[in-house]
Amino acid sequence: MGYVDELRQVLGEENVLEEPLELHIYAKDASLIRGQANAVAFPQNVEDVAGIVKIAEAHKVPIVARGAGTGLAAGASPTEGGIVVVTTALKSMEIDVENRTAWVGAGVINLDLTKAAAQYGLQFAPDPSSQSACTIGGNVANNSGGPHCLAEGSTTSHVLGLEVVLAGGEVVVLGGQAPDPPGLDLKGLIVGSEGTMGIVTRALVRLIPLDPDVRTMLMAFPSVESSATTVSQVIAAGVVPAALELMDKRMVEVVENWLHAGLPTEAAAVLLAEVVGETEGVEAEAGLIADIATSNGATSVEVAETEEHRALLWKGRKSAFGAIAQLAPDYYLHDAVVPRTRLVETMKAVYEIADRYDLTMLNVFHAGDGNLHPLIAFDASEPDINQRVHDAGDEIVAVCLKNGGALSGEHGIGLEKRDMMRDNFTDLDLDAQARLKEAIDPGGVFNPNKVLPAGSRCFDFGGLRRQELPEGVWV
Amino acid sequence: MTAPPVHLARLETDVPGAPDAPLKLVPRNPQDVASILRHASDKGLNVQVWGGGTRSGFGAPPEPDIVMSMQGLVEVEKWEPDDLTLVVGAGASVEVIELMLSERNQTAVLPEVPGASTLGGVIATGASGFRRTRLYGTRERVLEATVVTGDGRIIRGGGRVVKNVTGYDLPRLMVGAFGSLGVVVSVCLRLWPAPPDRATVTVGTADDAQRVARPLAVLEDRESTRVFIWGTTADVAAKAAKLDGDVDEGHLWPSDPDGEFGWSLRVPPALTAEAVGHLRDSWDFVALHGVGELRAASEGLDGANELRGWAEAVGGHLVVTRAPVGGLDGFDPWGGSLPAIDVQRRLIAEFDPARVINPGRLPGGL
Repeated sequence: MGYVDELRQVLGEENVLEEPLELHIYAKDASLIRGQANAVAFPQNVEDVAGIVKIAEAHKVPIVARGAGTGLAAGASPTEGGIVVVTTALKSMEIDVENRTAWVGAGVINLDLTKAAAQYGLQFAPDPSSQSACTIGGNVANNSGGPHCLAEGSTTSHVLGLEVVLAGGEVVVLGGQAPDPPGLDLKGLIVGSEGTMGIVTRALVRLIPLDPDVRTMLMAFPSVESSATTVSQVIAAGVVPAALELMDKRMVEVVENWLHAGLPTEAAAVLLAEVVGETEGVEAEAGLIADIATSNGATSVEVAETEEHRALLWKGRKSAFGAIAQLAPDYYLHDAVVPRTRLVETMKAVYEIADRYDLTMLNVFHAGDGNLHPLIAFDASEPDINQRVHDAGDEIVAVCLKNGGALSGEHGIGLEKRDMMRDNFTDLDLDAQARLKEAIDPGGVFNPNKVLPAGSRCFDFGGLRRQELPEGVWV
Repeated sequence: MTAPPVHLARLETDVPGAPDAPLKLVPRNPQDVASILRHASDKGLNVQVWGGGTRSGFGAPPEPDIVMSMQGLVEVEKWEPDDLTLVVGAGASVEVIELMLSERNQTAVLPEVPGASTLGGVIATGASGFRRTRLYGTRERVLEATVVTGDGRIIRGGGRVVKNVTGYDLPRLMVGAFGSLGVVVSVCLRLWPAPPDRATVTVGTADDAQRVARPLAVLEDRESTRVFIWGTTADVAAKAAKLDGDVDEGHLWPSDPDGEFGWSLRVPPALTAEAVGHLRDSWDFVALHGVGELRAASEGLDGANELRGWAEAVGGHLVVTRAPVGGLDGFDPWGGSLPAIDVQRRLIAEFDPARVINPGRLPGGL
């Protein structure tokens, strides 16, 4: 019996797809890289997932886990063929109000968790821009961030436990509500491993109380430098805002043209800041931020007066990528991170690269933590454009690394940046990473050839590949 | 004291406060650490990594063949206050680091009453500060780690940026690993800016702390329950008024519980008050409300079995952090069982194949 038939036996006919059109739909995530699956499976519970893993291992076919497919680094593109395991049916949710935690199925949508928790005065801190679509399983796989991670940290800081299917179909529960579980932190290793170590079926997440009060403010600056200086001075004054988001002039124009939110289109940079806490605290902090902005030449400081006003300011930020459609049919969104003190010089270099390649570039990003998101808007039907977009992207990443940064702040490595890992790490560092993967997935069934470039293990050094070595050679 | 092998003979051998061992060595840099660990792996010698000695009571380790002191790896490589990052040697004293950071109103949110403890020791044992209630634990502080593996490879994971998903999270894995994968030699820490004002408010019970949003810490000991707050002057004044208790300026952190035996009781956060009720009257303690961590001390093992039974039944753990020599009398320092122990074993085998670094510290015979 072929493995697709075996999958049907375990999951039921209706939960396995293999028609060409169906396979086409699941052949890529939100990145530009397309793969080709042999089958798409929809497990209904953890036992189904364990069954899939056993079948895949027995037939030596790869497994690619997928949530909503909003990933931007091709982590969920089945580029090695095999089975795409869609976890969207895993929708259990148990909120423990007393302990401020929730066991959440991998398929639960981030925003649905946030809404459910809000009934109890609680919230889930990670809030990626795709939160109305992306799943908790995807958030865990990619250690997703979002604007509010400046003060609260990324997904990994909010995952207390995992139910995960490991190699061999073994189901384990790692971590729990009690702090500091003894032994190695396997949970922490699996969060952010992009589906290369196992399939997470449920996550125990931390919920934090809703903020008693909030001040959201929008400040317009005559230059990117003055906005960046403001960010540094705010933090130096002992204030860590819940969010500090920056949009450049081009992005503000596009968003305003679409949304009519009254954004200051004449400004060179617009900073969105949010402080949360007790009323007295947020008033004092908002006042402090306004003073610092003004001293740096801010041309306007607008504080949201109502919840509707606040929502509108945030809408401008969160729908920025949607607004791009006015400019061009396609866009390529980058994600890289630099130390915050290197933001301004990095931005200058990024603009210079875009000009040199004659590309339309817009910027909206998390200024507080140095996480850049340069966005190139283009029309893929234009001749040679794909190569230019690609080359400019490589140069942008190179500049970020040169300025002491890293390849990705929150989108992940996947396939998109896999081969750039050699620019970020030494051979020995990559060998260590490959050992982590091998120890936990010795058969290499989970999302193979993602995250780590080929030959990351030391015995592949010197261009030698394992299978090319004569038998018995000790390298 | 035996003579070290020739290539290690140039190293210092004076390690104040360390336990007796045939060989004591003070590496000056990561390369020295690698040489020592390669030597140990070749000869099958077990190495006790020595920081400040404040958390050396975990597990049931054998007598060390080599004590390797981290006192030579204390250099501050780079402090970027505007980036909120600090790159520093793992042997650096927690007290010295925090004192330095306080000059620019910053903190690494390391344990507040550090004694002689070192950064490396805090990371290896997975210890966190009281402020974890609000700012989370030590795992959230380590952005980058440079590690020397048991077989002497010098590897780095993470990066010097506050937000990063480039590759697997090696730094996080090192926290609480008791050196089983490798010895952390330097780290990049995520710092936190300290706001201008702070206060300690004594309240009636931990429930009173719920009158304010997300305090830094809510700590209960035998004497009192105190809420720790910080912020702008207006914020601190408003919070103190809401808490309606005796207000002290600054943060008056409780000292570590005193006793022959040290304990770490870990339970779901909502059971913290109940956990206090399960402690015998003779046990000293500090309870972290909202976290589910209790640090306790006792003069004997009386009550320990019952306490562990309760803790494990509610999904928690009772861990021995300190015991007199021979004092455990068969009582397992960790208790419980580990999930995915084969995976844990395979991970350790990849990094410390001869199992020379701190053997016997981790639970489950790892």
